[in-house]
Amino acid sequence: MDRGYRAVTVADIVRRAGIARNTFYDNFASKEDCFLATQAYAVEESVARIVEASAEAESWEERLAAGLGAFLKYVAGEPALARTCVVEALSAGEAAQERYEESLQAFVPLLRVGRESSPHGEDLPETLEETIVGGIFWVIYQRIVLGETEKIEALLPDLVDFALTPYIGAESAQRATARL
Amino acid sequence: MALDPADAAEYPPELSRLPPGRHGLPRDFVVHNQRERLIAGLAEAVAEKGYGGTTIADITRHAAVSRRTFYEHFDGKDECFVAAFDTVTEQLRGRVEEAFKAEDEWPVATRAGIEAMLAFLASEPNLARLAMVEALVAGPVVVERYDAAVQTFLPYIAAGRKGASKAVLKHLSDSTEEALVGGMVSLVSRRIVAGQTEDLESLLPDLTEFTLTPFVGSDEAARIARD
Repeated sequence: MDRGYRAVTVADIVRRAGIARNTFYDNFASKEDCFLATQAYAVEESVARIVEASAEAESWEERLAAGLGAFLKYVAGEPALARTCVVEALSAGEAAQERYEESLQAFVPLLRVGRESSPHGEDLPETLEETIVGGIFWVIYQRIVLGETEKIEALLPDLVDFALTPYIGAESAQRATARL
Repeated sequence: MALDPADAAEYPPELSRLPPGRHGLPRDFVVHNQRERLIAGLAEAVAEKGYGGTTIADITRHAAVSRRTFYEHFDGKDECFVAAFDTVTEQLRGRVEEAFKAEDEWPVATRAGIEAMLAFLASEPNLARLAMVEALVAGPVVVERYDAAVQTFLPYIAAGRKGASKAVLKHLSDSTEEALVGGMVSLVSRRIVAGQTEDLESLLPDLTEFTLTPFVGSDEAARIARD
């Protein structure tokens, strides 16, 4: 994905993969099909890592921090895959965009349980989780676009703080992130 | 990062490369008018067929100008799209700027800015779709402009740092404004994709509370948002 989704050809893919063109078509119907498979793989991998990391934590705040931490680590460790799935997915057609949206939605329940720990959980805006997740992804997207993937893991305390504050307030959020 | 909201009024240099009236055409009313019609024509065509499916013929039909006229203004579809995108974001920024500046207190000014943004997008569904949805599929040049355009809204939020208490400032991070604007943009885009452009204004209380919370706390943010 050095050249962006639109410019990449099947010839580029087979050359990089070191496989025959026939082998490509044995596995995928088209470039788009290959893209969607890559995206599906990355979403599955990141969800597995998030679930695994957050399972060990006790409180909601810790689960969120552990899950987001695992996600950032995965993104930072796989810069090419991250670029494909976070940046290129937006311009790779409707199916890719839809799957991108779905993967964002996977984070919503992880946040939504925070309403139970919040003194004003019932009054929080209905759209809160969507905007928090959108904001987190935008910050990650920017780092990838700017070629600063190495800075992604260090964003953890800021992003956890950003996500927790609406639920438990700035002071408690800061206490929770101080340990990260 | 620039913290002065006045900076937002400055057109980013990368967006000002397209003078109206290319190819030595005089900047008279007719030419300007044709250009605007082409831009509006593109927005209509893209709303109907998406960026990928739109042809020059679709644009000229909607604009009711000749193909030749199109090429007097633009080299091709991509360039016309960029011009349309710039026009929409310039208008949007103008509305937000005006609304924001009309208020003295930052939280209220921010609410007014969000309100102006939502009102503009809701009233111009074709332009809203063009700038917030189709721009992302229109190729790397437009995506870069999209990113740059989003960044120009950060100073309005960053203005909330002025006069904020030490405790609040300590709590804010370098990416707070980015995350807030990104979150807003993401929600608005999703509503447009879902075909709910005309209901965008109903998001005002939610987006206001979301944006103000890191600066003034949930209770105060909720109060201003629902006032």
